[in-house]
Amino acid sequence: MTTQALSTRSRSAVWRRQFLLQGCWNYEGMQNVGFAYAILPALRDFYANRPEEALKAVKRHLEFFNTQPAMGALILGASVRLEERVAAAESDPRAIGTFKVGLMGSLGAIGDSFFWGALRPMASVAGALLALLHPLLGIAAMLLFYNGVHLIVRRRGFDAGMEGPEAVVGWLKRAALNVRTDDRKLLAAILAGAYAGVFAGRFFVQGGGFYHALASLLLAAAAVHLFAVLFRKAVSPSEILSFLLLVGVLILWR
Amino acid sequence: MAWRFLLAILLGGVCYLDRTAACQLMLHRPLVVATLMGAVFGNMAAGAQVGVVLELIYLARLPVGASIPPDDTGAAIFGGSAAAVASSSIGLDAGSFTALLLLSVVVSEVGKAADRFVRKFNVRIARLTAESVDRGDIQAVEHGLLAGLTLFAVTGMVLALLFSGAGVVVSKELLPRFGPASRGSFAILLPALPLLGAASVYSCSRTERTAAVFFLTMAAVFAGTVLFRWSA
Repeated sequence: MTTQALSTRSRSAVWRRQFLLQGCWNYEGMQNVGFAYAILPALRDFYANRPEEALKAVKRHLEFFNTQPAMGALILGASVRLEERVAAAESDPRAIGTFKVGLMGSLGAIGDSFFWGALRPMASVAGALLALLHPLLGIAAMLLFYNGVHLIVRRRGFDAGMEGPEAVVGWLKRAALNVRTDDRKLLAAILAGAYAGVFAGRFFVQGGGFYHALASLLLAAAAVHLFAVLFRKAVSPSEILSFLLLVGVLILWR
Repeated sequence: MAWRFLLAILLGGVCYLDRTAACQLMLHRPLVVATLMGAVFGNMAAGAQVGVVLELIYLARLPVGASIPPDDTGAAIFGGSAAAVASSSIGLDAGSFTALLLLSVVVSEVGKAADRFVRKFNVRIARLTAESVDRGDIQAVEHGLLAGLTLFAVTGMVLALLFSGAGVVVSKELLPRFGPASRGSFAILLPALPLLGAASVYSCSRTERTAAVFFLTMAAVFAGTVLFRWSA
């Protein structure tokens, strides 16, 4: 069976469309419509004169799908390559579903930990600190720190996926996201410590000597520790803020 | 004032799209949004002050799987616009600043509820898309995605109008009702808010060495800040 190759234009379209993976995020299929939308230009190429098979391929990608959006690029690239093999009758269509389901959970966990748990806090706290010097400097730093890594992971992940599903594991090993996660978490902790130190120094010390300053530092550190313990016990920031708001209202009432 | 709201709606729509539906380039982060809203309503620096504190507070809630974190974009729209308006009327004193930050929690929960509604409504769009594809219409996928995006964008714009309007009303009508002394007593809670933000980062950056590096850096920077203030 002859299959039309993926055109450069379609490859670019798939790359661009991955940014809309969550465009129709819903509680049932989650990113399913976004994934089908992203891979559609490739399917149109592969099944150019076979509308029935094109329809089956689209239905395959409307199945449940959910992963961390930036890591979705890797699965998307590999799925394009798998679809090419299916269209050329070199592979079973069920392999695509198995591949996607097998990877979306683990890549989602890796991506959530790296992007939401490490990179974003690091970029946010760096931006917040620099915004104390100038707001625009803070914003520029935050966007640069985050997107510098985010866009590279998307690009390289997509390219690795396009080399075929076999290349995915190799790329993940080379990317060493688990090591990078720990590095960025540590950096975020250092910057957050600096952030807490700056504000504790600003608010707590209004005069007094060494012991007053020491007591202020210990009080601020205890407050951070208390909040962190509350977070670990699944108390949300909104609940803490609501409690503080209630305390504020009571102060006004008095 | 009308053009300011129009600009707030447009910028809010873009930021809300970035939050879930498109790109995730961090244009929806409170630091960006509050600064933008501050600029739109006349005082960028006041908006940025709110953004610096709000940026970290909600980081402990990760958007993992189907869980929806509180709407910190909405909180920043409210806080940024309110801070800018307050700074040009009653002045952005510590009490008003604290009150705005704490009131933003209401907004963040309303935004979260709206986000949940959009995602529930998108189930219908996704089902309609699947039904159309079953009937042989492949293009329905593109229409379905466009419908989902439009819903996210329109909801974002409505929320931006609602929250910026609420910010202006709170700063113009609610805060002036309390005298400077009352507002001043509110300021006693202010030191807790940046520390809550730092704790948020600390709790989501847990490694074996996190506690040591966090508290050592905190102590060093605190000492530096205090020495700088004493010498100044």
